Amino acid sequence: MKGAGSVPVQASLQDNKGFHLDVKAMLIAAIVAFLLVFNVFPMAYLVFRSFFGENGFTLETFKRIYTYPLNWNALRNTLVTAGLSMVFGVMIAFPLAWLVGRTDMYGRKFFRTLFVMTYMVPPYVGAMAWLRLLNPRVGTLNVFLANLFGLSGNPFNIYSIGGLVWVLTTFYYPYAFITISRAMEKMDPSLEEASKISGASPLKTVMTVTFPIMLPSIVAAGLLVFVSAASCYGIPSIIGAPGQIDTVTTRIIDYVYVGSAEGLTDATTLAVSLMIIANLVLYVSTFICGKKQYITVSGKSTRPNIVELGKWRLPVTLMVSAFALIVVVIPFATVAMTSFTTNLGKPLTAANFTTRYWRILFTRKGILDTVKNSLISASVAATAGIVISCVMAWLLTRTRAKGRHIPDFLITVGSGTPSVVIALALIMTMSGRFGINIYNTLTIMIVAYMVKYLLMGMRTVVSAMSQIHPSLEEAALISGAEWQRGFRDVTLPLIAPSVVAGWFLIFMPSFYELTMSTLLYSTDTKTIGYELFTYQTYHSQQTASAIATGILGMVVIVNWILNRLTRGEFSI
Amino acid sequence: MSSITLTDVTKSYGSVQVIQKFSSVFKDREFVTLLGPSGCGKTTMLRMIAGFEKPTTGEIKIDDTTVSSGGKFIPPNRRGIGMVFQSYAVWPHMNVFENVAYPLKIQRVPRAEIKQRVADILEAVHLSQYIERMPNELSGGQQQRVALGRALVCSPRVLLLDEPLSNLDAKLRESMRFEIKDVQKRFGITVVYVTHDQTEAMAMSDRVIVFNKGAVQQMDSPMNIYRSPANQFVADFVGKINFIHGVASGGRIEFPGGQGMAYSGEKRGPVVVAVRPENMTMRTDKGILRGTLSQAYYLGDTNDCRVDMDGIALRVIAAGHTYGQIDVGSPLWLDFDEYLVFDDDGVDQTKILS
Repeated sequence: MKGAGSVPVQASLQDNKGFHLDVKAMLIAAIVAFLLVFNVFPMAYLVFRSFFGENGFTLETFKRIYTYPLNWNALRNTLVTAGLSMVFGVMIAFPLAWLVGRTDMYGRKFFRTLFVMTYMVPPYVGAMAWLRLLNPRVGTLNVFLANLFGLSGNPFNIYSIGGLVWVLTTFYYPYAFITISRAMEKMDPSLEEASKISGASPLKTVMTVTFPIMLPSIVAAGLLVFVSAASCYGIPSIIGAPGQIDTVTTRIIDYVYVGSAEGLTDATTLAVSLMIIANLVLYVSTFICGKKQYITVSGKSTRPNIVELGKWRLPVTLMVSAFALIVVVIPFATVAMTSFTTNLGKPLTAANFTTRYWRILFTRKGILDTVKNSLISASVAATAGIVISCVMAWLLTRTRAKGRHIPDFLITVGSGTPSVVIALALIMTMSGRFGINIYNTLTIMIVAYMVKYLLMGMRTVVSAMSQIHPSLEEAALISGAEWQRGFRDVTLPLIAPSVVAGWFLIFMPSFYELTMSTLLYSTDTKTIGYELFTYQTYHSQQTASAIATGILGMVVIVNWILNRLTRGEFSI
Repeated sequence: MSSITLTDVTKSYGSVQVIQKFSSVFKDREFVTLLGPSGCGKTTMLRMIAGFEKPTTGEIKIDDTTVSSGGKFIPPNRRGIGMVFQSYAVWPHMNVFENVAYPLKIQRVPRAEIKQRVADILEAVHLSQYIERMPNELSGGQQQRVALGRALVCSPRVLLLDEPLSNLDAKLRESMRFEIKDVQKRFGITVVYVTHDQTEAMAMSDRVIVFNKGAVQQMDSPMNIYRSPANQFVADFVGKINFIHGVASGGRIEFPGGQGMAYSGEKRGPVVVAVRPENMTMRTDKGILRGTLSQAYYLGDTNDCRVDMDGIALRVIAAGHTYGQIDVGSPLWLDFDEYLVFDDDGVDQTKILS
């Protein structure tokens, strides 16, 4: 009966005032309409186009595409690299999330911030860094290791499947880390205590209680890594191209760049293959999980109990530090150093030091324009996205409106769709053929970013809302406040840190987005992500590094500011 | 000067009816308790009075104002009601003063007056020294007082309390009972109190309404609820009771084991004799029923015993000093003068179902 009581009266208020337009139904309809136009319809059209040529249903294009061994290779490479990144990413993220969230390891807060911040930097920056570190001939780390162990040759070659997996893993595990830690922090600690009191050791408890309960979140996290890695363009393009390793994404973009109608059809067909794979993974993982919903994971916020590591406390901290050093500090330091280096062939010494590229960053109009474009499109996407997220959070946690799970489902599917597929679908449908022409505008970017990144924002706000007991709002109502006033005085201040965090989770990936921008940009709407990629690939690695370091600096500063503003409550 | 009038109120969720037709008038300054097991509909009833739920049918009036009926519905924020929630619902981002002052701020009461009235209320709920504290710096009992203060600060016509003491420890619960009763008398308000704790209901109420499965079982003073329960459910839910099944025929009730007792009532056929443990006395000379003392526990103020009567375990509560007067395992006689006889329809009416 308590549960049944958590439905608010807003709807009844509307009834009372005599107008019967149901606000909830209207909101749902508006969000669904947006998603239908910009998400469902484009995808459906993409699938349609791949199967229907001018003379009706045909599998011709599929046949043509897969007669090229190159495409088969690309498909295999995508599956192998994304699959391995998913496995390794989760294998890294789960213990890290547990150590950071649930143990007394030293510097937990610091490490948490560090790993989360990795989410906020462009993954292709990792490719730039590792390229410098593990270049088979002159890679800094390669040379260092060869000298250290007296090897005849350099131990690593970044231009390989292994190299690709390494970079994909080290830059996509934060997606899994965020998803898993959020669930872990909400888990009812008494479940683990019950295991311990039954005589299980801490490790046994993790394996028999924590892990199984977390399984749905772990699967969701793995999926996120898989789809992100499979649809990544920057990393396979920067690392794969020199090693002649193609992935489906790079092939699709190559086809689009061919520009012909046939090229576009081929791209479509490949994209549909990618989409089918992503959906298959989604389906299989939901099937394995059996739609398990553990009540204990969501719901009221409980203070997680802290596992004491005892004699392992220092060694574990050292291990995590070493991991952070290799995966976060060294790559970022490399990129930062590159931006100050005149001659890339030589080490960074006083003679080889320059601020030229930083001056370029702050003065060249081309770069500044792309920064402006990215700022505008990412801000609009984040703001519109967070508004939808808040509405969805309200609908999902405070109402029992019929159909409220439809937009929730569509948003999830949108996020699970590879970026390159989204972009291609938007190009096919939004360039005037169906009455909407937003091609070559910032709007199409904004739409693409929203379809792709809405989920992260929504999940953040929903989880914050679900932790606010409805009676807090009811208490405002009974105190005489109209529900709008109650929302402003009670709900909003309590979810504000999460709203800000959610905004940022949409803003950051949109800001540096590369894959979709590569397909959607026009001369006037180039984004910083694309500009950076162009510099890295064609012009000047140093300028690219300066841009990347700039983004890095921005992430650190904004993080710090938000932390101060929300008195340390800002967390992702 | 506040009464609550409920007329033919029902509530359904879809096809499930959670409140059967209910009518009653809660009089001015009356302390009414809705008592029942969890899931019985008592909280839903309270939330309908508050305006958080809309009755499916029926009418609710506060004084002469219809707050809910058919097309008319006054939302909770315009009902002028105070309410204390089970979870207290003290806002974590506001300190004690801000929490309590909130209803006054909504009413745009001048700042100086807010200060005075909050100070007065905090005095009344013994929180004066905590005025600057944040909720997470308060104990459960203190948070509960904040919630009470916030509910009272506007001098509401009606105060609703939804299991306000269930999250407190036993000692505190007992003392809060008296404080709430005291506050009610001092402010002269009508209180509707929801609880599943029969002792709370007994201690505070002018009238107790016992609910089960969405239907009223009995509506009466605490003493009548206890001494003349309307049915086996009420008898069992309020206080402790022994049920002995038997068959009534002219002048006697026979029990399965062969014993019987004199009976002058009108019931015939299968019956249930209900006797409260404290109304039974154990004696060594002749009483009504024979049995054997099977267990005895010394609880200080009482001697809590189990007596085996032909295979039926009966609970007997005697005064503490009687402990040890009869040895465990010894035969004894049971005597009782206050008991009830219900018809036995074969259905266990004491089962709590929701």
